[in-house]
Parts: sequence; C-alpha cells; structure tokens
Amino acid sequence: MSASLSLGIDIGGTFTDLVVLDPSDGRAVIWKESTTPDDPARGTMLGLMHLLKKGNIAPGSIGRVVHATTLFTNALIERKGAPTGLLTTAGFADTLEIGRERKYELYDLFLEMPKPLVPRPLRREARERLAPDGQIEVPLDVEAMLHEVAFLAEAGVTSLAICFLHSYANSVHERLAAEAIKQKFPRLSITLSSDIAPEIREYQRCVTAVANAYVRPIAEIYLENLEKALKQAGIPGSLFLMLSNGGLTHVAEAKRAPVQLLESGPAAGALAGAWFGRHAGLDRVLAFDMGGTTAKLALVDDGEPLVAWGFEAARTKRFLRGSGLPIQIATVELIEIGAGGGSIARRSDLGTLHVGPESAGAQPGPVCYARGGYEPTVTDSDLSLGYLNADFFLGGAMRIDLAGAERALGSLSTSMGLEPLRGAFGIHDVVNENMAGAARVAIAERGRVPQDYALLATGGAAPVHAWHVARKLGVKHVICPPGAGAGSTIGMLMAPARIDRVASFNMSLASADLSAAEAVFSGLEKDGLAVIRETGADMAKARLRRLADMRYIGQGFEITVPLEGNSDRQGILAAFETAYRKLFGRTPPGAAVQFVALRVSVSAPMPGAGGKLRLDGQQTSDAALKGYRDVYFADLGEKRSTPVYDRYALTPGTNITGPAVFEENESTFIVGPGARISLLPEGSIMAEYVS
Amino acid sequence: MNAETPRQFDAVELELLWRRLISLVDEAAAALVRTSFSTLVRESYDFSCIVTDASGQSLVQATESIPSFIGTLPETVKHFLKFFPPETLHPGDVLITNDIWLGTGHLPDITVAKPIFRHGKLVAFSASTAHAPDIGGKIRSPEPREVFEEGLQIPPLKLMRAGEADETLVAILRKNVRTPEQTMGDLWAQVVALDLMEERLHILMEQAGLDDLAALAGEIHARCEAAMRSAIAALPDGTYSSELQTDGLMDKPVTLKLSLTIEGDRIIADYTGTDAQVDRAINCALCYTYAMTMYGVKVCTSPHLPNNEGAWRPISIIAPDGCIVNPVFPASGGSRMLIGHYLPMLVFGCLGQVVPERVMAACGSPMWGMNQSGVNAQGKPYANMFFYNGGMGANMRGDGISCLSWPSNVSSTAIEITEHIAPLRVHYKRLRVDSGGPGRHRGGLGQEIALESRSETPIAVSFLAERTIFPAFGIEGGKAGAPGVLRINGEKVDPKKQYVLSRGDTVILATPGGGGHGDPEKRDKLARESDIQAGYASR
Repeated sequence: MSASLSLGIDIGGTFTDLVVLDPSDGRAVIWKESTTPDDPARGTMLGLMHLLKKGNIAPGSIGRVVHATTLFTNALIERKGAPTGLLTTAGFADTLEIGRERKYELYDLFLEMPKPLVPRPLRREARERLAPDGQIEVPLDVEAMLHEVAFLAEAGVTSLAICFLHSYANSVHERLAAEAIKQKFPRLSITLSSDIAPEIREYQRCVTAVANAYVRPIAEIYLENLEKALKQAGIPGSLFLMLSNGGLTHVAEAKRAPVQLLESGPAAGALAGAWFGRHAGLDRVLAFDMGGTTAKLALVDDGEPLVAWGFEAARTKRFLRGSGLPIQIATVELIEIGAGGGSIARRSDLGTLHVGPESAGAQPGPVCYARGGYEPTVTDSDLSLGYLNADFFLGGAMRIDLAGAERALGSLSTSMGLEPLRGAFGIHDVVNENMAGAARVAIAERGRVPQDYALLATGGAAPVHAWHVARKLGVKHVICPPGAGAGSTIGMLMAPARIDRVASFNMSLASADLSAAEAVFSGLEKDGLAVIRETGADMAKARLRRLADMRYIGQGFEITVPLEGNSDRQGILAAFETAYRKLFGRTPPGAAVQFVALRVSVSAPMPGAGGKLRLDGQQTSDAALKGYRDVYFADLGEKRSTPVYDRYALTPGTNITGPAVFEENESTFIVGPGARISLLPEGSIMAEYVS
Repeated sequence: MNAETPRQFDAVELELLWRRLISLVDEAAAALVRTSFSTLVRESYDFSCIVTDASGQSLVQATESIPSFIGTLPETVKHFLKFFPPETLHPGDVLITNDIWLGTGHLPDITVAKPIFRHGKLVAFSASTAHAPDIGGKIRSPEPREVFEEGLQIPPLKLMRAGEADETLVAILRKNVRTPEQTMGDLWAQVVALDLMEERLHILMEQAGLDDLAALAGEIHARCEAAMRSAIAALPDGTYSSELQTDGLMDKPVTLKLSLTIEGDRIIADYTGTDAQVDRAINCALCYTYAMTMYGVKVCTSPHLPNNEGAWRPISIIAPDGCIVNPVFPASGGSRMLIGHYLPMLVFGCLGQVVPERVMAACGSPMWGMNQSGVNAQGKPYANMFFYNGGMGANMRGDGISCLSWPSNVSSTAIEITEHIAPLRVHYKRLRVDSGGPGRHRGGLGQEIALESRSETPIAVSFLAERTIFPAFGIEGGKAGAPGVLRINGEKVDPKKQYVLSRGDTVILATPGGGGHGDPEKRDKLARESDIQAGYASR
C-alpha cells in the first residue's frame, strides 16, 4: 500500500482536530480530541489512535502530515517563552519598552500596556551605528558586545534577539555579531531582526525579532518531539507546518522562524473558507467563523485569503487595537469581534440593547445550559427564536433549559420596554450588526463592496447567524460547508506551500535603479523557491508573485502593489495608481512615488492537496425532512412553521425554497424566506437570496 | 407616516443605528490615516472625523480621535453655520477654516465640513479636523506675539462650491506653506473622508427609512445627557478649587485657577482668577479650554459614555475674556497645549477632593516636541515635527506608565523614520532613571533623547517643553517627578525660544516624569527592589 493519505492536526485551546483525507477519492475522516495543554503531543497522539481506528486506516498509509497550532501564541499571551535577551544599538535598549507612546483607550486612567517580552536588565547594548542608507558610521565593537552577551548567558538567557538600527538597510552588523556569538556561545539560539522582519521602524522590527526569539526554543523542542512521536506511531510521511500567511513550510523553516506560525490556526480556517468557496464557483468569499466567544472574518479574493503584512499579538485588551505586540509577519487578514454564542445581552447605561463582548463562555455558559448562567446570551435568543432545537442540541447530546432561557430573555426585554419576541430578535439583530459593521469597515478598507462577496459560515454559531448577516450586508449567497466544526483542518490539507519574503528598498520611483530591484527580487525568489522545493511541492505549478510596498513621497503608510509583470517605470507607476485608486478613490495630483520595500510571494500546490472532499457522515435517517417548527424571521415579523431538514440525509441536487432549517450535530443552518437552496456536490449547502 | 410625529426608536433600533453611525465615521478615519501625507495624522493620529445633525450638533465621532478635537470639532461646525446659513449651502460644498477661535486654538489644524442634503433638505454635516504638515509663518514655537506671525489664517470659506474646488483659495494656500504638496495632499485626504461619510450616511438613511436625523439625534443626545447628568448627580454638591503654576514665560510663571461647582446634575467650571493672556503663543483659546475641561470631567465621571453633544450639555465653562484660557484677538496660540494640557489636571485637583479613586497624580505633560525646519540640498524648504512624551502620574491602583501621551494621544515617530526624513542623528532615546515621582505607587518615567544635526546648512529648531521649572506633582503624599530639561551643546536653554543649529550641534531633551501617589515609605519592598534591579530608580 502506498503512503498516499494526508493527515491534518489542528491543536486549539480546547480541542485538537484531526482529519485524514484520501486525495484519490476525497474521503475524509474527522476526529475531535480534548487538548492536553501540559503536553499537547499526548492529546494529539491519543486522538490520532482514535482517528485511525475510526477510519480503519493504517499509519503506514499516511504520506504527509500538516499541522497548525496555537501553542506559540499561547506562550506569548501567557508569557511562558524561553528566557530571552536582547542586543540593540547603543542608546536604544529601551525601544522595546518605550514603544509607540500611545494609549489604546482615551478615557481609562488605569491602562495596562503590554509588558515587554525582555525585561530591562536583559536588554543590552552594542557599540555600532549605521546611517539610514546602511553605511557604517561606527563599526561594531565585537569584544564589548561579547562581554554583554556573556552577561546574558550568565543570567540564564537561552535565546537572543539582535536588533540594530537601520539593519533593514544593511544587515552586516547583525550578521557579524551573530557569527562572533555563535563561536563563543554555540548553544545560544540567535534571532536577527534583519532576518525575521527587514522593515523600517525599529520598535515593530524589534518586537517581531524578540517574539521569535521568545518562542523559538519551545518550538524547536516541540517540533522535534512531534516528529519523533509520528515516526514512532509508524507514520512515514513528513511533517509540514501551517504558517500565518496560509501557506505550508517544512520543519526546518518553522524552527528558524516560528513567529511565522503564531496565527496558523486561524489561517487554516480562512483557507478552508477559500477552498469551499472555490468549489462553489465563487471568487470572492467572506469567510465567517463564529464560536462561543468570538467571531472571525477573513476576506478571500480570487480563491485566496487576503494577507496583511503585520498583525497584533497577545493584546492586553483583546478587541482593542494598540494593546498588543505588533508583529511584522505576513498573516492571513482576520478581523476578530467579541461576538459569539456566549455573548451576553445587557441593557446599556444609555438604555439601549448591548450584546457582548462579555461572554458567558463555556462556564457558566448561556442560561439554557442550566449551569448557573443567569444573563441572557445570543444562544438563548437563538433558542427562543426557534433557530436552535432544544431536543437536538449538539446532536441531542445535551439537555437544554428552554424555559429558563425565555425567563431571562423576558425579564431583560421588560426592563427595556420591549416585547419578549422583539427583545429576543433584538439580541440576534444587534450581534449581527456588530459583525456586519466590522465586515463593512474591513471591506471598505480594501475599496471593495460587500455585494461582491459570498458569505461562508463555519464554526458552531455562524450558520445560525449567516443568513441575517448576509441580508444586512446585501450579500446574496450564503454557503454552509459540511463538517463546519472541523473546517479549518480540512483547509490545511488543501493548503499550498507558500513563502513570503521582504527586503527594504527605499528609493523614489523616478531615480530607482530598476536593475537593482530586479536583483533583489530574484534573490528573494531564489530564497523562497529553495524552501518550497524542500517541501516537496509541485514545482511545475509554482507561482511567483512580485509585489512592492509603495507610497507617495511624504506619506508614511505604504500600500502593497502587485506588480503583475510590470518591470518598467511606467508600468510600475500604473500598477501603483490602480491599486491606490482602488483603495482610496482618488490619487493626489502631482505627487511623486517611491518604493519602500520589495516583496516576493512564492507558492506551489502540495501533491495530495486535491480537489475532492467527501465527509464520512453519520446518516441519521433516510428522510431528509425531519418535521416542522416555529422559527422567527425578520422579513415576516413573526414566527412561522418552517421545515427542518436532516443535513446528513440531503442528496446532491436537492432544491429547496426558504425558509428552511438544516440540522447537523455541530450546528444549525438557518435560511430565511426568499431563498433558493441547493446542495452542492462536495456537500456544501448554498442559499441564494432571490427576492 | 405623519411628518409631525417624531419617529420613535426602541432600544434595539437605536443601538443598531448608533453602531452604524460609529462604524461609518471609523471607516472615514481609516481612509484618512491611510491617505494622509503628514506624520502628524498617520503616525500621531492628530485628526478627527465626525457626523453632526443639521444644526451642527455632533452625533458620533471617530473612535481614534484625540481628546482636543472631540471637544472642538463640533463647535467649529456650529461656527460654520453662522457664516454660512443653510440657505447658502449646496450639495458638493466643502467649508474650510483654521481660525484659532473658531477652530482648535492654533493655525495648523485645518477643519473642513460638508453639508449633506437629502431630498433637497440639509440633514447633516460630515466634518474633519487634521493637523497640517505646515501652515507657513514662523515655525511652531512659543515666540510669536500675535497670530499674524503664526502663519496663514483661513477664515470660514468654501473650499469647494458644488463639487468645484476654489482654485484661487488653493493657489493662496499652496503659496503660503512650506510643504504645498503635503499640506494639499492632506486636505484632499480630508475631503475624501467627508465624501465617504456622506455616501455611507445616505445608505444608512435609505435603509432605515429616515428623511432627516432630527429624531435620531434627539434620542442620542437625550440619552447621553441623562447619563452624564446622573453621573454628576452622584457626586456631592459643592464648590471645589484647585490651582497650579506652569513654566509660563520662564521668567514669569503662569497661574491657572479653577473652581468647579457641582450643583445637582450640572457642573460649572470657572477659571476666574487665572492669569491674563500673554504676548507669547501659549495662549489657550476658549475652544481648546472647553475641550480639555470636558475631557477631564469625562475621565472622572463617565469614561465610557459615547462622545456627542448630549454628554457636554450639563457642563458649562466660565473664563473671563482676556485671560490665558480665553485670550482675545490678536493673541497667538500656536503652542496652546502648553497651557491646555494642564487643564484636565486642574479638573482632577477639584474632583479628586470628592472621588480620589478616579484621579491620578500629575503627568509629565504637556507633551514635548521639537519642530525642525530648513532648506534641503535641492533648495526645497521642509519642516518636521517630532513628539516625545513624559511619564504618566501614578494612581490609587498602581504605578504611572512610562513615556505615554496624556491627555493627548500623540505617538512618537520611529527613530529610523526621523533619520530618514530629517538631517539628524539620534544618539539615544532611553528611559530617564529616577524621573518617576516616588510614592506608594511611583510615577511613570520620562525619557531622554539626544539628537545631533548632520545638516550642511543651518537648521532652525523650536520646542514644546514644559514642567522644566514646576515638576509633575504627586498626590496623597506622593512626591513630584523629575522636571524636564532641555540642553543644546550641553547648556541648559530657554525652551520657549527658537535656535539655529549647525552641523554637529546636539540637543538633549529630557521629558518630565509623572508624580507619585501615596507615601513613598509605604511602597512595597519588592516593587522598590525590582525598580532598582531594572534601573528605573537608583535607590
């Protein structure tokens, strides 16, 4: 038997999702295991055993393993990384602590700013200095520098970040220091800022390098152990890691720069959205995931999730921009909103209905869980509106207190002078508005309109809310893929190998030496291709993209421009102006343009990341129509008897007219009146608003 | 629907419409940041966007706004209406001014507003203030004695008439500023933001079936006003006084006095007794006084209340004409934050007497900054403004945060960006040891920055620098933070003057630390030791 199967492992905070896919026929088997935070590999291997047994799969038939994990993000949030030191240019050891000097909340006198990952005594300085153009002004004093590192080594530092001023323009001093340190302290793990994030702005670059150094020793040990455990389990396939940018890489690259893995879990979710969207024949998809506490939105254009060139990790206030650590790493762009099934509804100080971001979480959970929660949540309102089925909660695995939920909803509604039904739908409507509002801003920031997108719902609560969110946005198509709960794991198995590289290139377009730019591009491509080749990806289908960060001279923010083969000045200018107009509507008259950085994105499909998918469903009944229940729809303004279908019993080609309810174990898909609903070949339900 | 009955909104609908209004101003703010040419807007967030009703009363303000503009921008829109009554306004018009009394108290802040019409009727304004990269005149320093020295004054005018730019005005603007491309680029970026708010507002009104905003505005204002009134009513009635001294003109301090009366559900802030205006550009126009006073009151009483007209109604301000917090024409005010940033501290001094748990010790603010201008190798004039912040005051719960902008929210420019855009070399930018005021909770640390000119041609520098004589005081037994120091080539210099630097000249700015809170003897032993170990304190 050839080792042709693919295994996906996604370790989240609560569950470890595992899936095995047979690319030849698209058959997929899914298993959920509880995460074992003390030693995540243990839960993984336990889950793997269960999965293999369930699917009757021999370990020897697994040809590759793809892995995503939130472990490194958690290490940052919980400050459980390696003892890390920092070496900076003399005079700038405090850059990491001084930060941007800006509050993330205007009216709060009791702010908590993110603590630097390296405390002050472990931030040391080296005598060296470069000019902004990279010229050496003060040569590196190697002896004195080694003396500082000796202090750090003695203090117990095992991982060291080096961030010198202007190293994005010239990495010579950082490299020189690294070589000298390696000689003398061979066991010290070293991260260079010019390696990890060669971009201008010392604070952001320094934080990124330090975050990498902070998680690197943990990543090295963890990845080695996992590889060993997989081998011991008899799996011959090699291990690949999901990167934040939505691509895959091999273990060596992941060990070098684990900071690239911080958002690997959410990236996998966005990829799943992209994959299901592509298979539904949709180019532009708004991937919408909603769980117990948060909702996540990702934009997918032309079948690929949009990638941002930086994000914020480990925020002290989760939903407040500016309260986290800026990480300059290509990352699938995700908008996180404090909206989930557990979000609590309250009367605001101003007498309006507020929903979230406070969440009842899993404990005590919504009132209907009858675990002591007393404030009504989104799930309680969904239950009372008929969206959820009290007798089939989590596939019937959980008892639900509908009366308790309605009591809580009733008393909140009364306190605000609302009819109970108005109150219940108000909660649904307000939480939907919160998500739609975030989507509008995100889409507008890209100069697009929501109507061009289809909404793809994954996670427990998204299928319940997607229809009404889509109506708010003016979105016509809503797709609910099968096995929505484990969707992100499937996304990983469909992911290509992908590497993004960046180099600083600070020149005006008019005076730039374009052959120098060409040399930078080909250097980056060579580097990226080498990593991709080692992953065993299908190089014949490799795709190279050149992008440039550009701006009008005098502006401080760049836009990333796809050059699409443009290599002469005129073509590059046209590409920039097109991208600028797309984002901002108009170009300022008479302004000159400059480069800031050059980027290369290299990707190639992985063998086995095929196009088919067939989930092993549990056929619960022969008849798809299970019965009818009363469900509330805004368009009707009242509850109406609505057909309820068993999702597992639907057959491809089924056509239904909304309103309708589709039940599966992990979720319920709600579709309102005026919809045409069909089942697509790979099992997704597509609902289209027709009138 | 009967047009005479005002539309009613229930708790759900009001929440939904409110959210959408906030998200549309935030969209506009995001667009403005991304398209702006000036470091002040994009890196320091020195701007704001709002939507008002037809009478200029603010409905919503962008989340990222700085406190001063939250207070001033709605007032400017109301002033516009006095100069341009509704019948003189047309779709596509854009109004503009930088008048210091109608605007924000200094000329670089340019405010634009666009009337929004629906079915031929004026229903709203979209408006924006942003700090322009340059406005001509003497470079920003406290030296100018009259507003005429400070740059180009733009009275309330139409920048655009029915969508057509006034080319005469544009030509005058371009001619009078050092950086015409950047200043105009930012102005057009503001116009883009106004257009965006207008477009989104039309969609919202269409979907919600609103012909005007009167009923919605009434509801939003009434609820915020009621919330503010109940927060004030919860405080004990009485008149509370506070005063402090600022560096002023260096040889002569300025005394600021506030007596704040809580009377049932309203507050009267009275600055009577404050020193007279001066012939230096530190005069703080009433609009700015208003904004900073409101900010201080809001922090103490209702920090989470959304910003709009209703919230301000219960608060009134008295400031005699001609005093430094209500200067009269032709006073200069370019550096008005050197007075204005003290005002929330005065409010704390008063309200701290009734809610000591909601205030903090003095901060190492007003914010510090250095303005640098010159002519580059290509013969082109340029100007840069760099900000640096001091330490926050300590509070009842903990130590003050080091190097944080307060009450403003202006971030510091990256060193690497500084060295790219200015002929300067930064030798260090580091925490200032022992600058945090001792206390049971220590004040936040200030910072020290050393800069050297590398320019072949002379460059002019001027400063924003306060608390060099009167440090940030502590409260509840806490001690003062270290005062700020400004040195050129090692010599202490008068920070209110302008200097010309030659190649190799160095400037050292040491920003003040925040004041401490509580008796230093009661400081936790571990906290004290860890301060020494980290080098925040030497003893």
